[in-house]
Amino acid sequence: MKCVTLFRQDDHLWQVFGQDPDRPDNIIDTNQYLVRSGNSAILLDPGGMEVFPAMLAALTREIPVDEIKALFLSHQDPDIGSSLPLWRRVCGPDIKVYLSWLWAGFTAHFDRDASFTTIPDEGMEVSLTHELRLRFIPAHYLHSSGNFNVYDAKAKVLFSGDIGAALVPRTQAEDGMFVTDFAAHIQYMDGFHRRWLASERARDAWVAQVSKLDIDILAPQHGLLFKGDDVKRFIEWFSTLEIGSGIAAMNR
Amino acid sequence: MVESPSVVRTQAQKSDRIEARANALLGDCRRAFHAFGNLDELAENLRILSLNAELAAGRAGEKGRAVRALTQYTRELVNRLAQIQGDMDSLRGRTFALSSTIQRTLLQLALFERACGLVEDGEHDRAAGAAAARAFADLMRMLVDTLEGMDDCVDELARRTHGVEEVVSQSDSIATNIAIEAAAAGVHEKEFRTVSDTMRHYVDDLRLMIDEASDSVRRASERGDALRRLGLDSLDELEH
Repeated sequence: MKCVTLFRQDDHLWQVFGQDPDRPDNIIDTNQYLVRSGNSAILLDPGGMEVFPAMLAALTREIPVDEIKALFLSHQDPDIGSSLPLWRRVCGPDIKVYLSWLWAGFTAHFDRDASFTTIPDEGMEVSLTHELRLRFIPAHYLHSSGNFNVYDAKAKVLFSGDIGAALVPRTQAEDGMFVTDFAAHIQYMDGFHRRWLASERARDAWVAQVSKLDIDILAPQHGLLFKGDDVKRFIEWFSTLEIGSGIAAMNR
Repeated sequence: MVESPSVVRTQAQKSDRIEARANALLGDCRRAFHAFGNLDELAENLRILSLNAELAAGRAGEKGRAVRALTQYTRELVNRLAQIQGDMDSLRGRTFALSSTIQRTLLQLALFERACGLVEDGEHDRAAGAAAARAFADLMRMLVDTLEGMDDCVDELARRTHGVEEVVSQSDSIATNIAIEAAAAGVHEKEFRTVSDTMRHYVDDLRLMIDEASDSVRRASERGDALRRLGLDSLDELEH
């Protein structure tokens, strides 16, 4: 599994893990993110059961496993958190698991012994260390009804979950983790955003709130990341897109 | 204590064998439970028969006294069958829950076994390999406990099957005695004989259930014990 460092300043790092070459074709590719500060780290959207072995192997090349102090699940999907019981076995017993209050009882189906630090709808701020605070920003209905992004004001990175996601065919995957040709990249995002993301009202609210943030890197859970001007290009593209296309199948 | 991922790697074949045998064991248990699927209906039929027999015995007056006593024994047997049915229902739930735990644990074992394979190349934090190996061992211990629980369920299933066999034997005796009473019952002979014949019919149905279940229960017992020992052997290998 690939590991790319997105940001580094002293002992403050963002790293992304993804594009596992051994991933079976029928399992959706996912990006897992590690945010580190000092001897503490939080793993964002740790991944499904099937990627756990590769993820554990890739991550422990970079960091001792007992430095992972917290897991963050942006929402309830199995490609995000079905590996939860496995991570809890290898990490410290006091590891925190952050998740929208909406999904605690549902995600317990992955791990009935896990206890969650639930995130209220308006989000919250957490301190990984004295030096590093992360904001859990609400992104409800995009696509999950209890959904959060993670913003690091120091690194200027926004982990955006399914917003910005793209289904890039393996044969077309670029060497790097970043979009280099935004216009050509749209085809891989278009169908996903139209069908998976549910609410234009929610989209408008999300655009309004992230437009106030200083973002150098927009990091989704699937596909390539956006940096620099591509962040603004993406937000502009997304702000006018028709979404919620599944409604066309209803009441026919 | 298990610290080495390489020890874990030797367990893959054992885990596969455990999975195959656990699936076969569950199949046997399912067949046994299915064989007793109509036990409550049969118990109810027997209860209704005993009530009708008691009415007939009442009409026969003095000639029906022995039959009346036999119908009361029959109702005790019906209560026993109902008890056994209730026990089997809860046993079925426990068996399937344990089976699901076994499947889930085997899946997690396979994932940790894969993880151990990937982290033992010397490029990883050593603690990760040790943590993965420890997780594997913890899961194996949990699996062994679950396999023992499954073995206990199979023993209970065998005991309940034996309980039904006892009811069959006693019901058969009651049917025979009612037939004997029928011979001396005069005008009530036909009625009592019908009761006896119907009871024999129900006894035959019970025997069919037992015949269907017996092989499955016997195989389940053998498999349950073998599985428990396989799990203990695996754990022993891991820990020494």
